[in-house]
Amino acid sequence: MSQPCGTRNYKYSEDMAILRTKTHWVLFVGLLVLLFTAPLYFSNYWLGVCNLIGITLIAAIGLNILVGYCGQLSIGHAGFIAVGAYTTAILTNRLELPFLVGLICAGLVAGFIGLIFGMPSVRVKGFYLAITTIASQFIIIWVINHWSLTGGFLGIKVPYASIGGLVFRSESSQFYLIMIIAALCTFFAKNLARTKVGRAFVAIRDNDLAAQVMGVNLFYYKMLAFFIGCFFAGIAGALLAHWIGFLNTEQFSLTESILYIGMIIIGGLGTTLGPILGVVFIRVLQQLLTVEFAPFLEKSFTMLPAGFASGVTPMIFGLVIVLFLILEPRGIAHRWALFKAAYRLWPFSY
Amino acid sequence: MKNKRLLISTAVICLALIMATLPFIGACEGDKEGKTLKIGITTPTTGPAAEKGAPMGHANLDCIKYINEELGGVNGYPVEVVWLDNAYDAAKVVTIVKKFMDEGCLMYSTSSSAMMTASMEIANRAGFPGMAAFSSPIIYRPPHHIYGQMPDYGDDFLVFAKYYMENIWKGSGKPKMAMHLLNNSTGYGAKDAATAYAADLGIDIVAVEEHSSTTTSEMESLTRVKALNPDVLYISSTPAPTAVVVKNAYELGMYPGITIGCGHASFTSAFVDIAGADIAEGVYGVFPTVNWGDDVAAMDKMTEYCQSEHPDDYGNMDYITCWAQSLIMAEILRVALENVDYEVLAKGDAAAWEAIEKQGIQKLKDYDVEGLHGPVSYTPGDNRLSKSVRVFQVQSGEITPLTDWIDAPVVKYEEFDWFGQ
Repeated sequence: MSQPCGTRNYKYSEDMAILRTKTHWVLFVGLLVLLFTAPLYFSNYWLGVCNLIGITLIAAIGLNILVGYCGQLSIGHAGFIAVGAYTTAILTNRLELPFLVGLICAGLVAGFIGLIFGMPSVRVKGFYLAITTIASQFIIIWVINHWSLTGGFLGIKVPYASIGGLVFRSESSQFYLIMIIAALCTFFAKNLARTKVGRAFVAIRDNDLAAQVMGVNLFYYKMLAFFIGCFFAGIAGALLAHWIGFLNTEQFSLTESILYIGMIIIGGLGTTLGPILGVVFIRVLQQLLTVEFAPFLEKSFTMLPAGFASGVTPMIFGLVIVLFLILEPRGIAHRWALFKAAYRLWPFSY
Repeated sequence: MKNKRLLISTAVICLALIMATLPFIGACEGDKEGKTLKIGITTPTTGPAAEKGAPMGHANLDCIKYINEELGGVNGYPVEVVWLDNAYDAAKVVTIVKKFMDEGCLMYSTSSSAMMTASMEIANRAGFPGMAAFSSPIIYRPPHHIYGQMPDYGDDFLVFAKYYMENIWKGSGKPKMAMHLLNNSTGYGAKDAATAYAADLGIDIVAVEEHSSTTTSEMESLTRVKALNPDVLYISSTPAPTAVVVKNAYELGMYPGITIGCGHASFTSAFVDIAGADIAEGVYGVFPTVNWGDDVAAMDKMTEYCQSEHPDDYGNMDYITCWAQSLIMAEILRVALENVDYEVLAKGDAAAWEAIEKQGIQKLKDYDVEGLHGPVSYTPGDNRLSKSVRVFQVQSGEITPLTDWIDAPVVKYEEFDWFGQ
């Protein structure tokens, strides 16, 4: 039944519900139906793009908890993803352990390594912390390249993901695996932000001195943020490893780490929706520019100098990001929040 | 309230329309029927390896244009190319290869071993044949569905080391060799060969240093190398970092004085241009193709197309490599069409990929690539299609051949315990 104005809640559970109205439920169910029927009408290529988006999303959610909620700037996220990827590769390839063991251990090991590199956050913050996390990127990659167990520069093969007798060989089966884990991670992140831990993270981000005066244990919560953020990175790395099937360190460059920061800024820091929107925006933009726009330019404007199209696409990519940050510095999620507010008040939005 | 419902309905319809049209983005491109032979080519035309990727991409496309316009395609079927820039980005190349498979391409090629390494397992899992212009042993040892157009970085080392011992080294005892390697399979392909055979060749490896593709100074690593007083420095890298290493060696007074040898990924005119002809003078290198101006069948047409379409690439050895690559792909299609019907290939599915591999690639025998590089043949258990390189030297600013084709032996790296460790 329609309510005269606003959404009134009479119970605590209603107030705490993530999906509060029928419209929420309809949209949510519709989204799930669309998402999980995607293999029926998406080509393998687009399913592959969706898989990449899902994996990137899990890592970005972790980074958003660390940077967006807790305010601990990390520019070494690709390094932690690499830790997870190589952990599952070693466990499932060399030790022939099951995928689920590899997946969970990937998260735990990445989280543990994150704790080590997160320790300086107790003493330093802002740009200084960024420098220490950049160091983590280089140290992790150097160790992987020079450790015999990881296959060094040559890389290491990773088998298909499998649970019980079910082997995730096809793009669509991998899609379901990745999307289910991505959905669980999103749900966890959404709830985390509403707990005591989430509020402590926000307090530290807004003013760590004030948070400490209020009784927030800075060391504990900063370490916890690093552990959770890197745990997610590790899970993403494990899924990436099983999806691609072969790892070498070129897949985990500093550029990737910076791109992850870009994704959560463009999406909207400190929101659950932000990483989703940022990841989808960047990954789809990358794909469209590479596989649609550049070939289209090459074919349509033959008078242009050779290589012009491929040269112009990185410029367009950069330009779109710059324009986005200028026009909507608080991210796409903020724009979405404005839209929702306008919709709710429409036609009396003034 | 009415308006609100209207708004909701409109939003739902818009969303449904957007979702309904999305599949067509893929579906429209997935048309696998048609009287063409479709192949996928990806090159790093932008990004950190663009100085190699750009001319290689140009050569691939120029040669296909030549095949279609002047030779009437392959057995009358035009070759259709799906060309995409991978920007030397490992994540991007994975989705690109999936795109090739979706589009019904019969096979694909990469120019760099790094991009092939990143994408090879996707292709191997699907049985989708691929060919890398530049390759390292890891992409086909043990052999699956990925092939090397030319000898790999390990072969470069073996041929150069043998040439050095037979023609340059005049001292007594074992010469001391330092290696400066790109920190990926390009560099470490050479290291694997050194680990396997340096002792047998009578060479003492005294240092192994590494650098990144974006390095701007190697003074520190070369200072360490200089202290070990090596006789020869072997570099396996791409042109820009190789130029940095050679320039730094020059500035440190190491060179001239020692011998410098380069693997084929770096030994192009781009290296000489970046390092400077005076500094690069006398540097040795191996390369698996002929040089510009050599008297071979393909030279006139290749030069004509290069000068009309991409005059800046004239003199670049990478252009020759990928012109040859496109010729080989056309030859693979031609041989496959001799053995299977066009209809089998037209589907662009797993059966077509198997036909291309079994009836095309694996039936290649002594194809001369119009003289551009050593003959191309498939040998069971060895996925290198050409096995020959030549030794060159920079003389008066020009890359000048010193030898005829030298065959590199097949090395079964997977039989060494340390391979991949």
